Amino acid sequence: MRYSHYLVFFCFFITTTLQAQNSDTLSGAGDEIVVTATRTERKLSNVAVPVSIISQKKIQQAGSLRLNDILQEQPGIFLTNGFGTGIQMQGLNPDYTLVLIDGEPLIGRTAGILDINRITVGNIKKIEIVKGPSSSLYGSEALAGVINIITNKPNNNTLNVSARYGSFNTTDINIRASFNKKKFSYQGFANAYFTDGFSIRPNSVERAIAPIQRYTTQQNFGIKFSPKTSLSINFRYNDEKIKNIIAVTNNGVVTSSEGNEHNKDINTTLQLTHKYNNNLKNILRLYTTQFESLQQLATSNGTPYTDYFKQQFARLENQTDYIVNKQLEINAGIGYAIETANSTRYDNSNNQKNNQIGFAFLQSEWKPSPSFTFIAGARYDNNQLYAASFSPKIALQLKANNKLVFKASIGKGFKAPDFRQLYLNFTNAAAGGYSVFGTVEAQKIITQLIQIGQIASLENDYYRLGELQPEYSTGINIGANYTINERLNFNLNAFKNNINNLIDSRLVAYKSGGAQIFSYLNVKNAYTEGIEIALNYKATNTLSFTGGYQLLLSADKDDLNNINIQKVYTRDANGYSRLMQKNEYIGLPNRSKHMANMNIQYDHNKSFVNLRLNYRSKWAVNDKDGNGLYNTNDEFANGYVQVNTAAGKTLNNKLSIQIGCNNLFNYEDVNNLPNMPGRTFYTKLAYSFFQ
Amino acid sequence: MKYSFYLFLVTISFAACQKNTAVTTIPVTSATVKDLVADTIIGTSLQGQPYGANKFTFYSLESNKIIASTDSASTKWDLAFKGTTILTNGGTSGPGKGGAFVYIGLYDGVTAVPADSTFKTDNAPTYAITTGSNKGWYVYDGMNNLINPIPGRVLMIRTANGNYAKVEILNYYKGGVTPSATASDAIKSSEQRYYTFRFTYQPNGSKTF
Repeated sequence: MRYSHYLVFFCFFITTTLQAQNSDTLSGAGDEIVVTATRTERKLSNVAVPVSIISQKKIQQAGSLRLNDILQEQPGIFLTNGFGTGIQMQGLNPDYTLVLIDGEPLIGRTAGILDINRITVGNIKKIEIVKGPSSSLYGSEALAGVINIITNKPNNNTLNVSARYGSFNTTDINIRASFNKKKFSYQGFANAYFTDGFSIRPNSVERAIAPIQRYTTQQNFGIKFSPKTSLSINFRYNDEKIKNIIAVTNNGVVTSSEGNEHNKDINTTLQLTHKYNNNLKNILRLYTTQFESLQQLATSNGTPYTDYFKQQFARLENQTDYIVNKQLEINAGIGYAIETANSTRYDNSNNQKNNQIGFAFLQSEWKPSPSFTFIAGARYDNNQLYAASFSPKIALQLKANNKLVFKASIGKGFKAPDFRQLYLNFTNAAAGGYSVFGTVEAQKIITQLIQIGQIASLENDYYRLGELQPEYSTGINIGANYTINERLNFNLNAFKNNINNLIDSRLVAYKSGGAQIFSYLNVKNAYTEGIEIALNYKATNTLSFTGGYQLLLSADKDDLNNINIQKVYTRDANGYSRLMQKNEYIGLPNRSKHMANMNIQYDHNKSFVNLRLNYRSKWAVNDKDGNGLYNTNDEFANGYVQVNTAAGKTLNNKLSIQIGCNNLFNYEDVNNLPNMPGRTFYTKLAYSFFQ
Repeated sequence: MKYSFYLFLVTISFAACQKNTAVTTIPVTSATVKDLVADTIIGTSLQGQPYGANKFTFYSLESNKIIASTDSASTKWDLAFKGTTILTNGGTSGPGKGGAFVYIGLYDGVTAVPADSTFKTDNAPTYAITTGSNKGWYVYDGMNNLINPIPGRVLMIRTANGNYAKVEILNYYKGGVTPSATASDAIKSSEQRYYTFRFTYQPNGSKTF
């Protein structure tokens, strides 16, 4: 693949027609290639499930540094704060989006949230976002969808450096080099990121974004043994040191702490590809990864605090792609994975928790005519620790004519209970002494506490504690893509996700002193549904416009049931209780009903200017009226628009310069968006020595 | 400390339907009490835990006023407030006939004590009005460190003298306004333990309001 292949796109929903028009800049490429949707290389226009692509050009021209910078500008993605920055997609919590780097999962979630600040965008070639359940191919966690970060691969000999400096002394330096000889290829990448952090809360000692030093390196080696057989070795290491100044308040108790958090993650992939012939290909992959986090704090109450977490994951899998004939292709995979975790959050950090997963998947793609594609697939995951999961999916695409394409898919997704939900053993000694125990621990510990007379009462939910089951979803996506003319393209997707067996923490017992004990139960059922619209308009050869919108509705089904049987109350202006009406219910908290994005871009010669708008409507943050659910009487964060802009110019093909301003109108919300600084500026220089 | 009471007296005429010629008019008291202090925070412990003076505020529904704590061992009071704990004058709490239970429903909808209901009496450390988050009249929002009265909860009270009343707790904070979730802990601490509640007291011993 040549560098120019991925530099040239600036639209998410580019179509064949559009590309044909732009063939001068497209190096004759037919169609953008997507790998995440089917685990095979497919042209975007032939993929039957909702997929969007963020190109490298788009990422760079938005001035992004970390993955969250670029994802926050995508329609239908809401970033959550707390335990880092998480991805909420199709209204599902961050626990339910699988994040992959080059097809392999990232681990190291805290409270279910994978902090996407850990990921630099410096070597991202493109990001593929697949919406809708994808467990039929990827197994656990792929309920809302999959975000696959595809990094640069060795291409022609290149050496690029870039440096960016901006507000809060945020400094970002990238070096990327690659070379390609007949049989051997190499690519090296290194990124260093520093920031002083900030707090928009006046007089706060805590930093919403703490001072951070991050280093990432990725090394990729490729060997071509023969035209048929190749080996690639990929190594990634990420190291971050975060300075913590924390004032924890719980039950009114304030404890201030100071120290450091040190996170490291290592990923190694070995991939052996062998093409038997044009119709049969085999890929054997061995992936190992480790995430380690150590937080050490000196606290004002004299007790030092240490939090240690280590997770390891190793997986061997084999995938075979077989093209039976022009109409039928079959992809089959089989694999085995081992997962371990140690943590001070569990009973004993020396006591390693283990899980083993054996899995197999099969997908067949049937194309009886050029205008019709039908995909059926399923995956079976057999787990040591919890019930096995079977995840089927079907998808179809119908090209009505060369302007109109319909897509529909239905699939099942699941998320296995994680180690935290099984083994957590956490007591907040500083704040009233409440405890949270994983289900395996809860029954053991509470039984012990009963024996020594330390339990005052058992709640009903205690008796419901049992083996945790995986959480399930069934997701339906139905959409259409309409190319009105060569300049204008319109995409629509309607989705519905029914989520069952959701795991939630519940009060299970009271200790003698009144302290509460919580554990996890499969108790909730919910749904999210909505419509996504994307619009691409190339007004002139230099001026283009993209827009996206998502309408999102959601509900907890128990809430709905309680409303229907008239068991839910709220308060009137006098504070008097009254029945809550169904139309006052707003569904799950922390979700905006309306989200929209717009990007206006001007390209001329080797210069560009863009203006990017992100809108989020209000979202519920607090159950103010105490009725246990979220309704119009509760507390909301205000909706807002964030406007970002950037401009750049490439001189003599080697040196390029970019300046930008994020949050142009200085929108701040101290309470609900502490991680969003006011207006910030940056400038960036990049130089290509050869290419 | 400042108390302000907003008192509405609603007088309903009960024409006693006995053969007696005497017509008695017994006023049913309905009132809203604002900012009744319930052991407000006076300091913070070395561990950072805010604390009060550990004193109950005693209240008479019958006379709609605060009763001096020197009368705590009498039947002059019906309810006593300290933090989120509410006592009734009976059992381990006092010499009266008091008792209570928490009814789920609307205050105005309760026109009488339901026939099949059982009044519980205080038996320290458990109380007729159940303490604890989401167990009795309030829910503790641990994330924001706030106490919210649960809507649709009516405290059915048997008073010290054995009469009946219904009470709805409206708010737990000064001025009847819960601080914003994002208010400082200093504010959440200093403004809590101020009850706003409304009640209807039936002095004639019947279970209807």
